[in-house]
Amino acid sequence: MTRKFFFFSEMGYNAYPIEALEQYGYSALLFPNSIFDREKARDLWQMFLREHEYASETGFDGSVCNEHHNNVLSMQESVNISAAVISQRIKGTIALIGNPLPIHDNPVRVAEEIAMLDLISGGRIISGFVRGTGIEQLSTNANPAYNRERFEEAFALIKKTWTVPGPFRWEGKHYHLRVVNPWQLPLQKPHPPIWAAGILSPETIRWAARQRITYLVLGSALDATATCREIYHEVAQEDGWVPTSEHLGYLIHTAVMDTDEEAYDVGRHHYGGASVIGRSGGVAASALTAGTGSAGATGGGPHPEWMAPPGYMSKQAKTGNMARERRMSEGSYEAAIRAGLIVTGGPKTIIQKFKHIIDRTDPGYLTFWAREGKKPHEATMRGIELLGKEVIPALREHQSALVTGEEVTPWPQ
Amino acid sequence: MAAMKNPPQLIEAAGITVELRRGGSGTPLLVIHSELGVPGWLESFAQLAEHYDVIVPSLPGYGRSARPDWVMDAHDLAAWVTWFARDVDLRTPVNVIGCSLGGWVAAEIATVAPQFFNKMVLVGAMGIKPERGEIFDYFLESGLTGLRRAFHRPEQSSEFMRHWGKERTPDEDDLVEQHREMTCRIAWKPYMHSLTLRHLLPGVRTPTLLVWGREDAITPIDSGEIYQRAIPRSRLVVMENCGHMPEMEKPAEFARLVENFLTG
Repeated sequence: MTRKFFFFSEMGYNAYPIEALEQYGYSALLFPNSIFDREKARDLWQMFLREHEYASETGFDGSVCNEHHNNVLSMQESVNISAAVISQRIKGTIALIGNPLPIHDNPVRVAEEIAMLDLISGGRIISGFVRGTGIEQLSTNANPAYNRERFEEAFALIKKTWTVPGPFRWEGKHYHLRVVNPWQLPLQKPHPPIWAAGILSPETIRWAARQRITYLVLGSALDATATCREIYHEVAQEDGWVPTSEHLGYLIHTAVMDTDEEAYDVGRHHYGGASVIGRSGGVAASALTAGTGSAGATGGGPHPEWMAPPGYMSKQAKTGNMARERRMSEGSYEAAIRAGLIVTGGPKTIIQKFKHIIDRTDPGYLTFWAREGKKPHEATMRGIELLGKEVIPALREHQSALVTGEEVTPWPQ
Repeated sequence: MAAMKNPPQLIEAAGITVELRRGGSGTPLLVIHSELGVPGWLESFAQLAEHYDVIVPSLPGYGRSARPDWVMDAHDLAAWVTWFARDVDLRTPVNVIGCSLGGWVAAEIATVAPQFFNKMVLVGAMGIKPERGEIFDYFLESGLTGLRRAFHRPEQSSEFMRHWGKERTPDEDDLVEQHREMTCRIAWKPYMHSLTLRHLLPGVRTPTLLVWGREDAITPIDSGEIYQRAIPRSRLVVMENCGHMPEMEKPAEFARLVENFLTG
């Protein structure tokens, strides 16, 4: 396949007053929505949608939407609505990263909505399925102890809904439907490409490899991403098949400006809890002193248990190597930059950095997380323009060293 | 100390491996523990063991008892307990102490199996949504916060300090998380209560002692009052200077209350 380059933004509610974050110490779950300003949200939506549109105009192959609940991190409380709106504003692919399956008591509804999206968009949907973070479980009251079971059963039910003619009955452990027979089926056959996305849960990577579906690494540092790819390949080898670049997506914080210095400065908006999925719960005011101005804040926070409610995270996911790698790369903005958690530069630098990244990980889908936090609209648009018009064309033909066997492009000093 | 003499055993019963603590002699006294598990052979057990054969199984999913996937709510636990009793040849009707979640389980048994219990002690029992106040949501707080909140004055409780007050080992932390996970399976939603139970309680004939700590910050006393109004032969005793776990925070006073009730 030829590599695809997508645009991502959490579309976070970044307009809350910093004093509120200082007062509560967190910006999710119990952060009261009396702080939410409807007019500001309306204006933010228009700005964010315009940025997606501009990405399409400048040459990105598609846009990526997400879903979160009870969280300033993202206003996308329905990924399907985001995708519906964006599909009408852009030309390319719309990747949902995605529907959190365990929070739904009727997975067939999810299947119906994705089918509608695919039909209305003319078959441009990529359907990512996720477990949802701990915050999603608590805010929708989905039992975290059954998170993985609900995910796997919902996944199986949705796949069956798309591929097996109805009507049929489903009496499972968590879901019970007497007549599955929707009159919307996706345009793409057998169904839109399915992605799994995760933040370093080894079980999810293994599950995706067993299903032979694309695994999207969500904003992790370069070494951790390389590890994810290795795990995926190990499982594939056990099962007797060879993955291609198609099987890996990489979502990566990217700040491109005209100069390296400007980009480094603007990149600070990417540092903070909202910009590191999985840490938007239990945030601490300490990150405010790092001058991020980003939506949400990062750090330990008073409620780490919100991100890991009982039964949600295996011990290995909590304490294993990947968790350690992640923690090490999140200590400060500088550490995040060093670990490749946030990639900044002028166009020339960015091109070289991404050649290095492609050489080491060979993602078939490279998603530039190019808008975050309080990054000004003008800077975001300039970054999108540079990516679309200069960076992506330069990267299009670059083959990964993992495929060619050549030397890895050096990381610029 | 009496507490040291009763290391738990592992037995096969009611379809699974069960961690069982048992001590004393006399008529059997079944204890159905709380959502926080059985931290050890409690002082109150040791005192009660002077007059009773105190039987404390760790419920499925708690302690070293296995966790069968089919146990998904309080009814399942209730049925399991009666099966356990048959497998260990426990003669019924038996006296029972049910603590918190264990109290809810005991109440469920009493509504369907009147021949099972002789007398029932419910301590800070879950199962009823209070009309005033709310049951503390363990799952919006850390495990340690929940443990501490269950006591009025944790640092002054020798039982709290002995079992949960010191620096915990990774295994002990894992156990806290294991118990939280099992409790999620049982009591996630509706949270810690049954919509049906209070309607069935008027049919319970078992003489019942309800024991609540005045300072119970987990389960409001209002739940206890609803229990008391609903169960015909019941009495509510409120213990002063005591939180959610009288069986741990006031062992001697609690044991006396139970003994007087069972012999009275």
